[in-house]
Amino acid sequence: MSRRRFHGLRRLKFRMTWNKYNLYNLSRMTPSNYANFGATYFQQKWAAKAATRAYHGEQIREKQWERMFTPRLNAAIPMDHRYLGEHDGSELAAGRGSGLEKPFDPKKTSMGKNQVPYMHMTYAPAERRLDVAIFRALFASSARQARQFVTHGKVKVNGKKMPYPGYLLNPGDMFQVDPERVLFATGQAKTPEQVKAGREILRRRRIANTRRDERKKERKEKALQEIANKKVSAERAAEPAAKPVEDRPVGTDKEARKQRKNDLQELGKQIKAIMENRKAPPPAKRKQELRALNKEIKATMSLINRRPATEIQDKTDDLTAQLTKLYVSNPLARFKPTSKPEVTTPEKAETPAASQAPEESPEEKKQLREAMMLYRENPIDESKPYATPWAPRPYMSAFAFIPRYLEVNHNICSAVYLRHPVAKPGLAEVPTPFNAEVMQLAFNWYLRRR
Amino acid sequence: MPPTLRCASVIPSSSCTKHLCRAAAQSSRPFSTTPRHDQRATRARRALFRWLGSQGENFRNPLNGSTNYMGAYNREGQLKRVVESELFKARAREDKGQEPAKPEEAGKDDKNKTLPEETTRDRIPFPLNRNFVSQPVLSEELREEIWQRIMKGGKSVREVSADLKVEMSRVGAVVRLKEVEKEWKRILTFDVKGKPLARPYAQAVMSMLPKTPYDSESVVAHESINDLPVHASTGQQIFHPTSESRHFTRADAAKVFSKNLLPADDRIPHPELVIQHRERVVEELTIEQRQERALMRAEAADKITAAKAAKAAKKEAAIQKIDTGRWEFRFTPINSDDIGKDGRGHKGVGWRYGVPLYDRSRGQVKIPTSVE
Repeated sequence: MSRRRFHGLRRLKFRMTWNKYNLYNLSRMTPSNYANFGATYFQQKWAAKAATRAYHGEQIREKQWERMFTPRLNAAIPMDHRYLGEHDGSELAAGRGSGLEKPFDPKKTSMGKNQVPYMHMTYAPAERRLDVAIFRALFASSARQARQFVTHGKVKVNGKKMPYPGYLLNPGDMFQVDPERVLFATGQAKTPEQVKAGREILRRRRIANTRRDERKKERKEKALQEIANKKVSAERAAEPAAKPVEDRPVGTDKEARKQRKNDLQELGKQIKAIMENRKAPPPAKRKQELRALNKEIKATMSLINRRPATEIQDKTDDLTAQLTKLYVSNPLARFKPTSKPEVTTPEKAETPAASQAPEESPEEKKQLREAMMLYRENPIDESKPYATPWAPRPYMSAFAFIPRYLEVNHNICSAVYLRHPVAKPGLAEVPTPFNAEVMQLAFNWYLRRR
Repeated sequence: MPPTLRCASVIPSSSCTKHLCRAAAQSSRPFSTTPRHDQRATRARRALFRWLGSQGENFRNPLNGSTNYMGAYNREGQLKRVVESELFKARAREDKGQEPAKPEEAGKDDKNKTLPEETTRDRIPFPLNRNFVSQPVLSEELREEIWQRIMKGGKSVREVSADLKVEMSRVGAVVRLKEVEKEWKRILTFDVKGKPLARPYAQAVMSMLPKTPYDSESVVAHESINDLPVHASTGQQIFHPTSESRHFTRADAAKVFSKNLLPADDRIPHPELVIQHRERVVEELTIEQRQERALMRAEAADKITAAKAAKAAKKEAAIQKIDTGRWEFRFTPINSDDIGKDGRGHKGVGWRYGVPLYDRSRGQVKIPTSVE
């Protein structure tokens, strides 16, 4: 028998993934899928257990989960400190039957709305697992992938490598996932051509590295040989003549040049990507302009070490401005940075722009700087395992939520497990796609006496 | 019954040839006889692709400036709030006695205007479970403000939590994570090989999530900060007869549930808010009196923390330390009598004759239970 399909269409099983099949299955889920009223109680419980376990900790063995299960369900009630300050609780017991008690008004009471949904907390113990928490923090596109990150040693808990996906997080534990892995998990996939190109780049890099290492080794050996020769000759001459080694000026100037070079290369890559974009090829006129721009970039690159750094910087800024003028919104960056309140800085406006381009307003300059930042932060790099520039994978937004028991910082791909999930009036913190009836049946299945 | 035969690849039957030919058109293994059931176009798959092309298309890319959950859409794949606002507008127009707008114009309006404000209903990722709502996360500005108040302003976690209406544990976590982020940034400024921040990813995720904004004038409550955990001993129903004239308070009720159970006033995370409110509103004390009381409370709290610190220091001092430069050896005095009369006391140290060690036995879980 072949292995059963993980995302089946016939047997509807909702899983902990961001898959599009899964999304389709979610759209098809109806209460009648699970609550079969013709069936016996045992059959109903069995069906509910099977459906819920396919989602909650499907990677955990049944026996393991049975050990984790506890009938004690956590809840918390939000208290109003003003009420607590004004009353000591005796008002609830006072005057029963003497008129203080208000008559029951069914219109004013919200039936069941503020009930604590205890049954949704059935699978709360599974949320404590490291792999599930990584999936909940949006660091992986499925619980299985999160598990793989852990076993591959890409996850740290409180700064120490944690290779066990079954590690149960304690309140206050901080977990970090390697950002490269997170970008891979949540980013768009490469096309086969891009994969091939990436492999080629990596191969070339590997060869270059081995060659460089060999050369280094040779040089080292040579140097050692020379030192030995010198020693011999010095011994012979009996007078050491050591030349003071000249310090090469390693200043900020050199770094600045390097940075400019990187910028220019980045710009070149952007232009190349625009030209080779098959889905939206640029018109012929635009192509000419892009080619001219590319030529200018190359010319600037050749002058990088000959001209003063400031001149190169101006030139780079000018080129970027030209590109941004051609494409007001970067066609490759599918995500624009959120527009901040515009602040005009008088200092920056006063500094004269030494480029040939006409004077730019501070707003334009700001835009330019933002575009430059975007290029630097989200560059085109074909050696990465995900499509660059990075963009979120399709269908991610339908699954993007972060439960309250986690505090996540996405910039550093780290999160803190604050506390165990709790149920509050009308809200349950355990994310589950099932309704209360199904969860109750599953809960009853796992009670020791059923 | 004989086992069912798979058609041999050498002399395939007519139906099998057909199958093979179709397989050969797609497969890189033209002679394989394995039935290719994975990519067959069944009715279910056709329905899937039909859905992905119609209603599912909404979820392919994130909505601009809004969350994009399944609970926000109706069966036809339209945003519920957009449909409702259209209806509302149409009704308003009818009331005024104007002609209803043409459907083409309405469509044009949609694209130009921003979406209507989303409600809790639109933040339900799983349509069947209305008890799970995607709750807002702290916005970037609010997190920065929390860090500023604690690390620059020198305020306590408790104060910041009460001021900004964010749980204390969350405040601590935010500061901890921000510190790491700033450290990464600092390293990046002088070392190109430092770990780069996942900024594009963070921006994308934050655009998909509901956020609590930071407003310096009026505080937007992020969550309830005074959550009373439901204690296990309060789960039972107790019939407790008492005299009608008795002043039966929360503290008395707690005693009835369990001897050691504290009343709700002492079990919530911010009991000081209750005390402050009581002094201000119920007891109507003057500012000086309140300040005096607050000072006394602070002194008492300081005393307790000082006592705790002294105890910890004493414990630490009892350990003999020998620093060799590479390692610090720590010696703790033990008592051989701790093993007890039967030699099995849990405080006993070391291996003991006759007491089994389960370290190597099967089925013992070796996953650490905590990481410091």
